[in-house]
Amino acid sequence: MPVAGPGTRARVFTGRTRPRRTRRSVRAAERVSRTFITIGGLGTIAAIAVMFVFLVVVVLPLGRAARVEPGAAAPLGRLPAPPVHLAVDEGARLAALALADGTLLVRALEGGTLVATSRPFGDPPPTAWAFAPAGDALAVGYRDGTVRIGRLRFEERVVAEGELPGALAGLRPGETRVHEGALAERGADGAVRLRRAEVLLEDPVALGAEVLLLDETSTTSGAALATLTADGTLRAAFVEKKRNLLTRKETLAVSEARLPYAKPPGVARPTALRVSETGDNLFLAWEDGRLVRYDLRDRANPVEAEVVDLVPDPAAALTRLHALIGRQTLVAGDASGAISGWFRVRPSDPARAGTRDGAYLARARRFPATGAAVTALASSTRSRMFAAGYADGSVRLFQMTSGAELASLPGGGAPVDALALAPKEDRLVAVSGGALHAWRLDPKHPEVTFRTLFLPVWYEGYEGPEHVWQSSSGSDAFEPKFGLVSLVFGTVKATVYSMLFAVPIALLAALFTSEFMHRRARATVKPTIEAMASLPSVVLGFLAGIVIAPAVQSRLAAVVACFYTFPIALLGGAHLWQLLPQRTAVRFAGWPRLLGVALALAVGIGAGALLGPLMERSLFGTPGTLEEWLGAHRGPDDRRGSAFGGWFLILLPLAALLVSVAVARGLKPALRRVSASWSRRRSALVDLAKLGGGLAATLAVGSLLAWLFTAVGLDPRGSVVDGYQQRNALVVGFVMGFAVIPIIYTLAEDALSSVPAHLRLGSLAAGATPWQTAWRIVVPTATSGLFSAVMVGLGRAVGETMIVLMATGNTPVLDWNLFNGFRTLAANLAVEMPEAPEGGTHYRVLFLAALTLFGMTFLVNTLAEAVRMRFRRRSFEL
Amino acid sequence: MTPVMAPAPLRRASRPPGSRRATALFAEGQSAIWLSGGAMLLAVAMIVGLVTLVLVNGLATFWPVPLVQVETARGERLLGEVARRETYRPALDASTVEGARGTAERRLLRTGNFELSGSHFHWVSDFEVVSESHPEWALVVERMAWGRFYGIPKAFLEDGEAVAASARRELAAIDARIAALERENDRHALLLETAGGEEKRLEPAEIVRAYPANRLSFADKLGVYASRAWEFLSDEPREANSEGGVFPALFGTVAMTLVMSLLVVPFGVLAALYLREYAKPGPVVSAVRIAVNNLAGVPSIVFGVFGLGFFCYFVGGELIDPHLFPARTADRNPTFGKGGILWASLTLALLTLPVVIVATEEALAAVPRSMREGSYACGASKWQTIRRIVLPRAMPGIITGMILAIARGAGEVAPLMLVGAVKLAPELPVDGEFPFVHPERSFMHLGFHVYDLAFQSQNSEAAKPMVYTTTLLLILVVVVLNLTATWIRARLRRRFDVGSL
Repeated sequence: MPVAGPGTRARVFTGRTRPRRTRRSVRAAERVSRTFITIGGLGTIAAIAVMFVFLVVVVLPLGRAARVEPGAAAPLGRLPAPPVHLAVDEGARLAALALADGTLLVRALEGGTLVATSRPFGDPPPTAWAFAPAGDALAVGYRDGTVRIGRLRFEERVVAEGELPGALAGLRPGETRVHEGALAERGADGAVRLRRAEVLLEDPVALGAEVLLLDETSTTSGAALATLTADGTLRAAFVEKKRNLLTRKETLAVSEARLPYAKPPGVARPTALRVSETGDNLFLAWEDGRLVRYDLRDRANPVEAEVVDLVPDPAAALTRLHALIGRQTLVAGDASGAISGWFRVRPSDPARAGTRDGAYLARARRFPATGAAVTALASSTRSRMFAAGYADGSVRLFQMTSGAELASLPGGGAPVDALALAPKEDRLVAVSGGALHAWRLDPKHPEVTFRTLFLPVWYEGYEGPEHVWQSSSGSDAFEPKFGLVSLVFGTVKATVYSMLFAVPIALLAALFTSEFMHRRARATVKPTIEAMASLPSVVLGFLAGIVIAPAVQSRLAAVVACFYTFPIALLGGAHLWQLLPQRTAVRFAGWPRLLGVALALAVGIGAGALLGPLMERSLFGTPGTLEEWLGAHRGPDDRRGSAFGGWFLILLPLAALLVSVAVARGLKPALRRVSASWSRRRSALVDLAKLGGGLAATLAVGSLLAWLFTAVGLDPRGSVVDGYQQRNALVVGFVMGFAVIPIIYTLAEDALSSVPAHLRLGSLAAGATPWQTAWRIVVPTATSGLFSAVMVGLGRAVGETMIVLMATGNTPVLDWNLFNGFRTLAANLAVEMPEAPEGGTHYRVLFLAALTLFGMTFLVNTLAEAVRMRFRRRSFEL
Repeated sequence: MTPVMAPAPLRRASRPPGSRRATALFAEGQSAIWLSGGAMLLAVAMIVGLVTLVLVNGLATFWPVPLVQVETARGERLLGEVARRETYRPALDASTVEGARGTAERRLLRTGNFELSGSHFHWVSDFEVVSESHPEWALVVERMAWGRFYGIPKAFLEDGEAVAASARRELAAIDARIAALERENDRHALLLETAGGEEKRLEPAEIVRAYPANRLSFADKLGVYASRAWEFLSDEPREANSEGGVFPALFGTVAMTLVMSLLVVPFGVLAALYLREYAKPGPVVSAVRIAVNNLAGVPSIVFGVFGLGFFCYFVGGELIDPHLFPARTADRNPTFGKGGILWASLTLALLTLPVVIVATEEALAAVPRSMREGSYACGASKWQTIRRIVLPRAMPGIITGMILAIARGAGEVAPLMLVGAVKLAPELPVDGEFPFVHPERSFMHLGFHVYDLAFQSQNSEAAKPMVYTTTLLLILVVVVLNLTATWIRARLRRRFDVGSL
């Protein structure tokens, strides 16, 4: 540092003295700038680091376990009758307990104060009860054979300060008081809320004898009821409410169907009766685990569809059968404490179901036995979480989608009589041993586990475990499917197809530019290709979706043909060029040759356009066009025409490879021996003939292979080619080329150009041709640079958003079909992120997707950087 | 190195003279050279073709096209502009199909008159056309709502009465008349007859522009073109963005880019200065450098996700809103807790930060050591050296980095979709309303406009020309920024090269 110590003065030879002390302002500026730059610099770098940290912080709660905090148990006293149902209100303040004698007890959750007792179900009490798994609907059946549909409703009302009854006047914030069958509470905001529970019942519907079992669901056309009555009749009844337009009086119209059933030997009575959400299925379960499913789609003629054994263990009896939200999944609990989840699966081939209605009940989940019998089941009203109570008083919390046990709460020994999950999933309430137990609950994100994210999961209604991404739907009862693998697959598919197109073009173009072009021409070509990189990707996406995708679809055959005619035209051009006398060839190696290449390209396009339809007619003549041959992507039934054409096109490159290897191994050594004495012209002619022969041989080998594959019965459709969609991987691969080619090209060209000139000159001086120099000296020296160029291009392709978003259908499918779309991580983020509610599971899973993307690209780029550094060190050594 | 000449020298001696060329032919690798040349030309052709496509379509948007009236075999009469033509495969009706190939030509006619016909476009196959004419007085009326109207003027109405029963002769002065009419909106109306014979009354107030397309001279066409181009640049969008201008989008793009560069340049330069001049070189600094370098390759959508979560929801929604706007926050009506131009700028600033840091670092590293040492030898302090010697020399590089960042920022769309770009923002982020600058407002962006027009528009066929033009404008903005970078760099470099001689 050139800052001198203070107070020194030097005598200079001129005789003038000047202060050698650094001015204070300079020193201050020095200190200030150092501090400022250090803070600013470190702060900026920290800001970048914050990004990574923030992504991780948002994702982390996904892995947290559910938290359950025990609350105090409130004694209920001696209950006059066993409980049949327990419900909790939205605010988790009240618990309503229905007893078998028709009493409804309402108690405060905190402290267990009795709020109200009533007998809303009338006298004599109901003999059968049914409560909807989600929502407040209920149905009760009576001894006289009548059924009443109704609701168990929690009412919450804000009382204005002026209308406050005297008894509630002195209520302090946070304090609660029982007032006229309601619980009054002054909230933190100062308003007094009155909460009460009430039962509303509609007019009775007469359905025969004493009702033993009952279930009810409301459908768009009315209520569907299932009853089993004491006279031994199993009924499915449909109740429609009709309103008389004149009198405005509502009447109930009932249509019913009787279902035959047989009582299994040795079984006392059925355990449960359930109807599906839309009323199209009815389930009757017996104590031994036998479940009979009836198909009610044709209401007049119900069919017994199948019989399933819910409890394979012969020693255990079925104790509880409960439906989850949406009533698609049935949860069966048995006397051994084992629980299983069942839902209906409708296979694409109905014959495979082996039942009369083409669907079958599948056991998708099993939770192991605990030893104590399942005595109560309760499902959440917002997710596929459910709780089970056991005979030993313990309670367990499960998640159906992930199959995880979230919590296990030890009990007091007395069996759990009733169980409820609060609507907001913030309380778990149980009645056990004559006391009301309430747990505070925070389930976190139980539907997301490593398994549901990365392994195939058997979702409701699916044929088997699959990778599915479907994050939202209009219905509340929807099961979210967060199979990240299908998005990662889409990303990989997009990357692979675009790299297949971009890498050869970019690397060959870089090689040509650096080795075979004049420096001045290079100065125009390089910036032109680099300009491609500065095109906004939204522009590329727009052109891909609106211009290129329809154009490719209407000229599919020609586009496909171009992939074959391009190289052939270029090879043909090269062989014709060889016919030129050497002197001319050397003189014209610059612009004229490039012109020739351009001409060959044009010929390639023209040939593709001409041969495309010809090829289409000859190879895919049966359905007519290539697109029709590919089919509608609905499975093997849609495929028309022979597999030969497809195999031929796919195997042609392989055939070309085989032929060229054969020529190189078999023909070339022999040819080289005899051709030593030939003139250049003769060699060139022979070479041209060899090309023609090779092409013919390739076609022959290709057709032979294709015929063989077809004869064996293989079909390429269903693998890399299948049903055609306008916005597909082919279009994305091509357009992504615009984004990726310039990056790879620039870096590769730099790597090739920076190979020291003395290597090139030495090789040429030793007699190698420019091509030999380029291929055997320059390319091997620059390999790591080329590799790093490809890696950087790969990083760009992985994260590209707009092109993929606009040029594919964005359907998350797991297939390699070149003519189908996909959904990538990046496009998925762009589509779903704005709609995901902050802090929710979906939001955090999307952050995980972003983190995955971040990790993938960071890894690829770091690899590229490491290779590039090695390359730089090596090229310094040369 | 492997030997490149195939035959052994011993055999060469036994060969007749003049035959050495045979091996040379094989070694020339013509095929491979042609293949790589083809790849290079293909890449060039791709970019040239793409730019040409955008240029031709984008520039043609505003050019007035003559109107065609066709009468089809079904007795339909249609009047409109030809949007495009194509060859297609008509439904199998052998009597109408031309030739044996089963294909026919058809034109897409933009017929407008949406409120009467229920569609903006009609396909007309050439074989169905019975007669075709170019009515001299056919009028194109661009309106505030309902899209274009094509018709033949029947009468001018003044106070509901026709003042010119046959308006054809008066139409020469129609543009002037319409301009005059606008002052007396309520009294005047224009009665048009469609090709189908229906009549339609148009109030002058709803007319944006009207011209008899088949009577326009070249100069008139240029006039219409210029007028439309000016409207495009200076006006607000109409008709769900498919007509009118893109001024709010242009303004939003420029404003956002400006704020972004104001944020990114100082911080980028600070970080680079710290890394290059003040931090002690070592493995940590190298690691940070590599990390920053790699951050440039992280997908932009990841930055968007971060921006939404961190800036909008965390900073805006949890730190700012509850303290500044408690009432609106309680109503779940976020002010800063949603996407806005400030958050968009910050997100893009973070996205472009690596570009600026890397460019600045390279520029700082390129300043010769001798110059620093000379400065120190003269007694300058470190900061004086940086300020007077290093920074000026590094300026071209820094500015290059800045403009590269701006060019990247201006063309990015994916993160903006999450942090504040919207399809239609009624209010600009800067206006006459206190406090005049509204950093929390969402904004329109050219890139997002392209996305929206191309994929979310109901009348996508009518929006197509606009997408091209908007695309062209966006490319122009990016290209101009890139060219500026190159130019400034060249200028500064020349200045300092002269200085160093």
